Amino acid sequence: MKRSDPPFAFRGKYLLPVVCAAYGALFFFSPKKAWLALQKSAAVLVRILPIIVVVILFTALLNYLLKPRQVAAYLGRKSGIRGWLWVLAAGVISHGPMYAWYPLLEDLRGHGLRDGLIVVFFFARAIKIPLLPMMIDYFGWPFTLVLSLYILIGALAQGWILEALMPGPPAKPGSYAD
Amino acid sequence: MRKHSQPAAARPSYRQALQKCSLSFWAMAPLLLGVIGLVGLFEVLVTPKMLTSLFRDNPIADTLIGTLTGAAAAGNPIVSYVIGGELMARGISRYAVCAFILAWVTLGFIQLPAEVEVFGSRFTLLRNVLAFIFTMLIAVLTAWTLQVLS
Repeated sequence: MKRSDPPFAFRGKYLLPVVCAAYGALFFFSPKKAWLALQKSAAVLVRILPIIVVVILFTALLNYLLKPRQVAAYLGRKSGIRGWLWVLAAGVISHGPMYAWYPLLEDLRGHGLRDGLIVVFFFARAIKIPLLPMMIDYFGWPFTLVLSLYILIGALAQGWILEALMPGPPAKPGSYAD
Repeated sequence: MRKHSQPAAARPSYRQALQKCSLSFWAMAPLLLGVIGLVGLFEVLVTPKMLTSLFRDNPIADTLIGTLTGAAAAGNPIVSYVIGGELMARGISRYAVCAFILAWVTLGFIQLPAEVEVFGSRFTLLRNVLAFIFTMLIAVLTAWTLQVLS
């Protein structure tokens, strides 16, 4: 099955002007704060740029190696427990802010990724492996362990509830979502 | 790498796949820049001091406040640990601190416009409502479990 690519169009055509206007207003009332906010935003951008590059390379690699049917087999409606565990692990090891992962998830969703699994991915991201030592240092071992365990269970429960509340269209025989 | 029965021409090269992905990221650039701009604004306008001053030493109210402030805040999760540690030292309940650090990562008012644009309003609403409920639920369960364990 061939899919035609959607025509190129910029996203966030309204959000960016609104944010620019907010900066403009802040520059008018408090230039010092506006300048500081701009510096902080630039720092965030510099920090997440390597992550975005990795996500682009990874998305391209997935598109190159996997056909939509294969993505659907791993992460589609009939992926079973394997799909849940894949995204749970992916959520835990993923790095950077949530929005850096939107393009990859949107791409995979177009290839058959279930909405419930996206929810699992987003919530499992609450476990930050590089930050675990710091969490243990601040809150102790028991707190970190118990919280991490509940996060994993909670992520799966949310994915399951979302799929119950928002079931996708029935899979057609031979479709990507099969 | 797997071999497919389809002719080689049917499969795009890695370069083509990379071009396509780069283009779709480029299309999303204004959206991401908008969210990053909001993060900077919130980091300056909503300070840790303001966030900590909202807690009221009431476990139930503080759990809700922790969830809402965590969702409203932006920045590196390390900051949430620092603020959470500060709140604990001030005697704020474990429920609230747990809700706060969890909401910091799982919820985000700032990225809502981008999430709606990418995933649609229905999905975004359901995901955030679920994350909100589960953040409070997990905060309570974590605190209870730790009480039982100790």
